[in-house]
This record gives sequence, C-alpha cells and structure tokens, in this order.
Amino acid sequence: MESKLEALETSRPRPQWFFTIAVPAVLLLLAIVASVGFGAVRFSFAEVFRAVLHPAAAGDTGIILFTLRLPRVLAAGLAGAGLAATGVLFQGLFRNPLADPFVLGASGGAALGGAIAIFLVPTMSFLGIGTIELFAFVGSLLAMGIVWNLSKLGGNFAMENMLLAGFAIGTMLNAATAALQLRQEATNSGMRILAAWLRGEVTAPSWPQLSFVAIVELIALIVALPLARQLNALALSEEYAAQLGVRVERLQILVVVTGSVLTALAVSLGGLIGFVGLLVPHFLRLILGPDHFRLLPAAALSGAVFLIAADTLARTAFAPSEVPVGMLTAFLGGPAFLYLLNHRQRSV
Amino acid sequence: MSPIIEFRNVSFAHGTRAIFEGLSLSVDQSEMVALLGPNGVGKTTLLRLAAGLLQPSAGEVLVSGRRLADWKRRELSCNVALVPQYLQVPFAFRVEEIVAQGRVPYLGFLGSLASRDRDVVEHAMEAVDILPMRNRIFAELSGGERQRVKVAIGLAQQPKLMLLDEPTQHLDLGRQIELMALLRRLVDRGITIVAAVHDLALARENCSSAILLTPGAPAIKGSVPDLLHPELLERAFSVDRPGLERYLAPERRDDGPLSLRKKREQEHRERLRGPGRPTLRDARHGRGWDRD
Repeated sequence: MESKLEALETSRPRPQWFFTIAVPAVLLLLAIVASVGFGAVRFSFAEVFRAVLHPAAAGDTGIILFTLRLPRVLAAGLAGAGLAATGVLFQGLFRNPLADPFVLGASGGAALGGAIAIFLVPTMSFLGIGTIELFAFVGSLLAMGIVWNLSKLGGNFAMENMLLAGFAIGTMLNAATAALQLRQEATNSGMRILAAWLRGEVTAPSWPQLSFVAIVELIALIVALPLARQLNALALSEEYAAQLGVRVERLQILVVVTGSVLTALAVSLGGLIGFVGLLVPHFLRLILGPDHFRLLPAAALSGAVFLIAADTLARTAFAPSEVPVGMLTAFLGGPAFLYLLNHRQRSV
Repeated sequence: MSPIIEFRNVSFAHGTRAIFEGLSLSVDQSEMVALLGPNGVGKTTLLRLAAGLLQPSAGEVLVSGRRLADWKRRELSCNVALVPQYLQVPFAFRVEEIVAQGRVPYLGFLGSLASRDRDVVEHAMEAVDILPMRNRIFAELSGGERQRVKVAIGLAQQPKLMLLDEPTQHLDLGRQIELMALLRRLVDRGITIVAAVHDLALARENCSSAILLTPGAPAIKGSVPDLLHPELLERAFSVDRPGLERYLAPERRDDGPLSLRKKREQEHRERLRGPGRPTLRDARHGRGWDRD
C-alpha cells in the first residue's frame, strides 16, 4: 500500500510553470482585498472596490483604507514575500531546508542595524528614506557573513555549526538591540518602532517608504532569479557546481547580499518575524518540487499571501487588542522547524 | 593529433604538503585509463587539476592541446566532465532533474532546457539504463543506482573526456563489473575515460592503460599488465610480495612449488606478528624507501 502511494507521489508530474505563478498571484489579490476589509470597521468587497475605483469620493472609508489598512496589508505582503524568498535562497546556499533568515540571525542583524540608524544616527533626514533600510542591510550582511564563515569551519557545512552560529549571533544581536532600547525614554517614536520590531509587529508605513521598499524588493527578486537557477547545481555540491561551470564563490556572495537586502527590507516593515522563510518554501516544495528557480517566485507570492493572512488574523482575532504577527508565525513555525529537524534524513 | 589531456611538469601543493612535483603525463583519445595509487597520493587532486578546478603552482595542464587558462570555464565543462566521489543531494530532487544539471554549462543566463537539451538528458539516462527510475527521488536510490546517475550527469555534459573519482566505491561485485562495462561502452562511443580505482583486478580486466601514482616517485603510465609489476606495486602501496600475490598479472605470479609458497607466507605472517610489526603509519608513509 505504502509503496503504491509512494509510486503515485513520485510519478506525479510537476505543475506547469504558469500555475506556480498564477495560482499564488490570484490568491495574493484575493488576500489583499479581503484583508483590507477586515478590522474594527468592516468593509465588504463591494465597498473596497468602490473606494479603489473612486478614491476621491470614498470619504472616511477612503481614509481608513488608504492610510491605515492598505499600507499595513501591503507591508505585511512585502515582508512575507521578502522573508519567504530569502528562505529559498539561504536554503539553497546552505543546502539545508532549515535555513531561514530568522534562524540564521540575519533578521537579528537587520534589526540591530536598523536600531543603530534610529538611535545613533542623529538626524536621518540627510539621506531621506532608506537610511534605516541601509543600516538594516549592513547589519544583516554582517550577521550573515559571520554565520557563513562560522558554519564553514571544519571544511564542510555541518548543519550543527550553521544552526548554533545562527542562534548565537541572533541572540547577541537581539540583546544588543534590547540594550539600545534602554537608552531611550519610552515616549520616543523611534523607541516605539524598535519595540514593534522586537515583537515582530507589522506597522502601517508611509506611502513613500512603502514604494521605496517595493521597488528595491522587486529589483532584488529579479536579481535573485538567475541565482536561484544556479542554486540547483549547487545542491549537488560545491565541487559539482564548479565542475559544471558555476562560479561558486561569486554565486554564494551574491546570494548572501541579495538575501540580506530582502531580509533588511522585511525587517524594516515587520521586525523579527520568524519561520516564514522556513514554512512557505517547505510547503511549496511538497507541491512544486525542490527546483529553486520555480520555488523563488512562487515563494515570494505565497509568502506575501501567508503573512497577509497571518497579520489579518493577528489584528482581528483578539480584537480590540492586537497580537504581533511574529508571535503567530512562531507558534506555527516552531513545530514545523522541529518536524524538519527530525525528518532531515528524507529532507524535502 | 594532440593528446586529449596532457600534464607538463605540473607541481601542486596542498598548503605546505607537496602533492605533485614536475608531473608529466598524457592521455590519448579513446583510451580507458585506470588511475592507481594508495590513499592520499593525489588521485583526486590529479582529477581536479585535469578538470580545471585546481590551478597548478607550476607547469601547465592542456586539454586537446590548449592550455587550461585559455579555456572559458563553461566551454571546458562542455568538454571535460568530472564525476566526483560523493554526491549527496539535500532536497527531494528526482533523478531526471539531477541528470539535467549536466546541461548547466550549455544554458544561457536564464535559459531553460531546450528540446535538444531534453534529448541529451534522455539519451544520457538511457545509456546508463536509469530511464525506469527517472521520477524517483535521488536520495532514495541504492549505491549502484547513484553511481549510474552520477555517470549520467557527466554524459549529459557531452564531454570528450570523463574523469571519475572512485566510481566503483561501495558497490558490490556485480555492480562494479556492470559499471566498468558501462564505462567501456562509453569508450566505444569515443569518450576518453580516466577513472581512479582501487581494485587492480577491475583495472586489469577493463582498462587499456593505467597511471600509477607512487608517493615520492614519478608517476608512471603504461599498459595495465606492465604496471601490475610486483616491484612497482610494493613500492606504491608499501606492501610485501606475499600480500600482493593475488593482485598480480597472471604471468607475474609466483607459481613455484607449494612448499616454497607456504614457507614465504609463513615468513610473512611472522614478520607481521614480530616486534618489528609495521604500524599503519609506517605503511602509509612508505617503509623501506626514501620518500624524497
């Protein structure tokens, strides 16, 4: 019986490329529209569409939708897309399905970098939008560089090294971020941002910030696509990839840089949200198979859907109080992480 | 016609440990060469140098008469395929998806497999007889099946030269013989094979020539029966004659009277048991001759 099931499972054709993009894209649109309607004041689909078509005539509905709801929903989407795509990239890089920007400490690095930008760079206006993201990127890149080198110690990538290095770096960075928090009075607005980051809470960003993140993220994802194809060769081994003409070191550096950009953008919107980069690619691998080139766009879209849904749940399930979405993903992702750790023999 | 691969005075060191000094060798088109030598002598290093994955510190490696430095990396991957010793895949890739990686050097920046590439992958799987398992997950295959998949990746590269690092390792007797027969068929198709092997009998049965690497001595290339000479093997593998006896070419075996052979074996055993018994370290570092 079991062997029959297995034969079925393995002979099943992979879904067409079109569906790997189209299905999550449609889901994403539905998620955005539905999520925007949910909240303290409820809007029907029809009301949302009317407001979108005639923004000037929307009145209060328009204000709630366009300054509060929509930015937050889009922020959750962009953060989810970035984290899930980074998960695919880092899993390919470390050749390990457990690699996730949060687990590896990249998110912690980004949060620390962002916190430094908020507190220690006195006036951030000299660069305008992007300072926090830039510092978050540097923090994420440094954290990844350290974890990468530590996990390489002893020649091959022992998974224990990777996980322990990520744990140690991540914990230190979180502690440092918390220490920075102590320097400031509780009323400071930067302080509130940082507290939200540490809780893993998506806040409604301004439209300029949102568009900046969206543009940079799109560029990073486009850059990542050819890298994802090469990660398939790297899955065989570094030696195999080199033998097949892949410039392994360049690929690894580019993946770390691109992943750090995506992580930094996600953290600037939602802070420390764990396990999205682990849950979404894992689920998609079960349907699409392990090809990174197919996984990457599907993971970005599905990650957006996932975090929009989770964030909607987080802000409505316990109304009037809100739960940080990072808490929800931790409750979902923690057990999934343990499951993967236990089943890594037949790692999917 | 220039040899398909040629080492000219090649030196290479891992850190401070010199592996090759002034190594010169060449392999001609359609040879099937066994690469012989003890553990740690540099068989894998030699294959990596030949595949352009390592750069010699002195001397040069030429493929089809062209210096490696003059090859574009991808172009080289379309001519020389290295089949490394280990292949472990962390995700649930199917056999076909793994074999398709052999097309990577032929693909453009974003290019996906064209129908020609699919045909090549199909033929590669057919040649090593893994078509029936094309949809199975690689990580679940047996050792023999994995070796064949590895060869198929190499074939999908459509190389002129295939370098294999211990392709018969961990295979049972039947699978070893099958794999060597498969490699012989590839030679018939015009692919030159260089394979590191430990089993001298397999080398003798299947290979047209052999390269023998001896620590601290120049590499020798010759016909397999010539290289399976007791003195050469004693020196290369640091073993004594009685231990070697059954690996030698038939005409070199000591077929003296039974009593004499028994006496020799007795002496050999006593030597092993006695106070001067060689340690593993002695054996590795070559007792009885000067390493330098």
